[in-house]
Amino acid sequence: MLLSQVVNGLTQGSLYALVAIGFVIIFGTMNLVTFAHGEVYMIGAFVGYLALGVYHLAWPVALASGMAAAWVLGSVIEKTAFRPLRATGHMPPLLITIGLSIILKDLAVVVFGAENRPVPSVYGTTVQVAGIPVSVLQLVILGLAGALVVALRVLLHSTKIGRAMRATAQDHEAAYAMGVNVNRVFNIAFALASALGGAAGVMVGIYYNTVYPAMGGTAGLKGFAACIFGGLTSIPGAILGGLIIGVVENLTIQFVASGYRDVVAFAVMVLILLLRPQGLLGKRLRMV
Amino acid sequence: MLGPTLRTMTRAARMATVSGPERMKLVLRLLAQVLLLAAVVLTARVPPVWSVDPIHIGLSAPLTGNFAEYGQLFQKAIDLGVEWINASGGVQGRPIVMIVGDSRADPKEAAALAQKFTSDKRIVAEIGDFSSTACLAAQPIYDRAGMVQLSPTASHPGFAPGSPWSFGIVGTQAGEGPFMARYAVQKLGKKRIAVLHINNDWGIVSKDLFIKAAREMGADVIAVESYFETDTDFTGVLTKLRGQKPELLYIPSFYNEAALINKQRERLGWTDVTMMGPGSLYSPKLLEIGGDSVNGLYTSAAFFPKDPQPEVQKFVKGFEAKYKATPNMFAAVAYDAVNLLAFVMAKSGTDHKAIRDELAKVRDYPGVTGKITFTERRDVVKEYRQLVIRNGDFTLYDK
Repeated sequence: MLLSQVVNGLTQGSLYALVAIGFVIIFGTMNLVTFAHGEVYMIGAFVGYLALGVYHLAWPVALASGMAAAWVLGSVIEKTAFRPLRATGHMPPLLITIGLSIILKDLAVVVFGAENRPVPSVYGTTVQVAGIPVSVLQLVILGLAGALVVALRVLLHSTKIGRAMRATAQDHEAAYAMGVNVNRVFNIAFALASALGGAAGVMVGIYYNTVYPAMGGTAGLKGFAACIFGGLTSIPGAILGGLIIGVVENLTIQFVASGYRDVVAFAVMVLILLLRPQGLLGKRLRMV
Repeated sequence: MLGPTLRTMTRAARMATVSGPERMKLVLRLLAQVLLLAAVVLTARVPPVWSVDPIHIGLSAPLTGNFAEYGQLFQKAIDLGVEWINASGGVQGRPIVMIVGDSRADPKEAAALAQKFTSDKRIVAEIGDFSSTACLAAQPIYDRAGMVQLSPTASHPGFAPGSPWSFGIVGTQAGEGPFMARYAVQKLGKKRIAVLHINNDWGIVSKDLFIKAAREMGADVIAVESYFETDTDFTGVLTKLRGQKPELLYIPSFYNEAALINKQRERLGWTDVTMMGPGSLYSPKLLEIGGDSVNGLYTSAAFFPKDPQPEVQKFVKGFEAKYKATPNMFAAVAYDAVNLLAFVMAKSGTDHKAIRDELAKVRDYPGVTGKITFTERRDVVKEYRQLVIRNGDFTLYDK
């Protein structure tokens, strides 16, 4: 029972982590908090739903199209909403992201309707792992989330654009002086973060069998919480933060009551931040 | 109507000869007149064949906004009802004409509409609104003016008793909870029961009434868990409930969450439990989202389109022919509301007080949502049909 709840929590937590990593990449490179990330995730989820539920494509295709759509959306948002305002300080871009989140959500209501849309099941079976029942889908999601994190690490550490991103994250003016095309790096960073959000959206849609325009709200909040919890600029921290929130939520359901799930999860987070204001893995690591 | 039309036309002609701000003013005035004309033409849709005065009934419903789906169903069902009433000679030889207002499910708008309706001398009674909240906001205005406020859907137990002019025909939770408990404990013989409910006013009242009745019938309620309206993850709470080994899991929730609960239950491989929920689950959406996982789920409905009773079949066939869609509970209660008013006015005439008194006397009116008999609180105790989902469709459970 305990182990089942841990598996439930890890699955959910890995999805929070993907959203949280997006916040980290955006904050790490651009020094910007975005409130539209949850809605980008929702748009990714809807594209995944269209691929899977309407056009009956295979789920990897749905995942890829959700990520691609979120990538394009992220790239467009960065170019049209952030680039012109880069010199204006923190507030205008922050307000723009709030506006964007409202626009995207209401647009989805207009286009798709406010109601829940059914996403077909993928891998409906359960297997026994070490004596506990685990659904195959949970394993697939955990595996995919892990694979995406590994791919991200490879991208950041073993490619030229990855090196440019890390350089920009450390000091974008110095990077610019060294010949890094900072505009391009910002754009790719934002698009990459959005694509990870889109991937989380598609997987959440498949995992819970439903997508709806308001789904970005809680996801954005939990992902942002996981990101701060982990230390704001640390990718491993965001992963750890997401997983801890997910597991604490499910253990609360098991040992306290289902109504207290968010109360306890956020209380644990507040407590740790009081003791360690820089977050779990803040300061020590940066974008690594 | 000819006068204003001519004047508008001459204005339009004059506009060609002036320019500048003068012209702007004229354009605006012209626009205002066109709108006014349009409003007059649109609201006065009296069937041309009638020579006598029509009877006007107000309809306050959310035609736009979050609950637009329901308001539009109200309007469709009522249009169909009025069409049939007028085709068969109207009420005391007079046709019924609806005056429709959009409340957007906003209590403020519902109250404003109530002001408008009660100050309109033509309107003899009102149908609406959709939500209990909007109904309660408008209630004092209808109460002061002395006009019948007949809500098709307000299920708040405090609504109808709140004013002698207010009537509710959808039934309240006080009837449904015990009905579902009898279904679970006495019909299906389940003794170990767990409850997973939505944590809002409705969910709490719903689960309390069910649990109280189930305990009185000798069942053992072994676990009660809740979730919030925005939750989509139920794997944790289902894993916990599964550990308690209930025979039946009762889920007072709405169809979206009920579908997700069943999907996730199925994926966890938890199959040795009977699922049941109140009539709020009865929707094609439950089947659409829930798929195979909702097979074997027990629920209830006051209105069931496959019910063989002739009045139900007449309504369902007529609605399908006119709108190419099967009516649901919301359409059915609205249809009942307008027919009930017509039935009452055929006896009482159109005096406001006479309509109210006659309505309060209604006993065993054969509606498509079951027999309507008002209690002294002016709400009704609904009859429900026992349903079970078999092969991906709702079927009557008659044992």
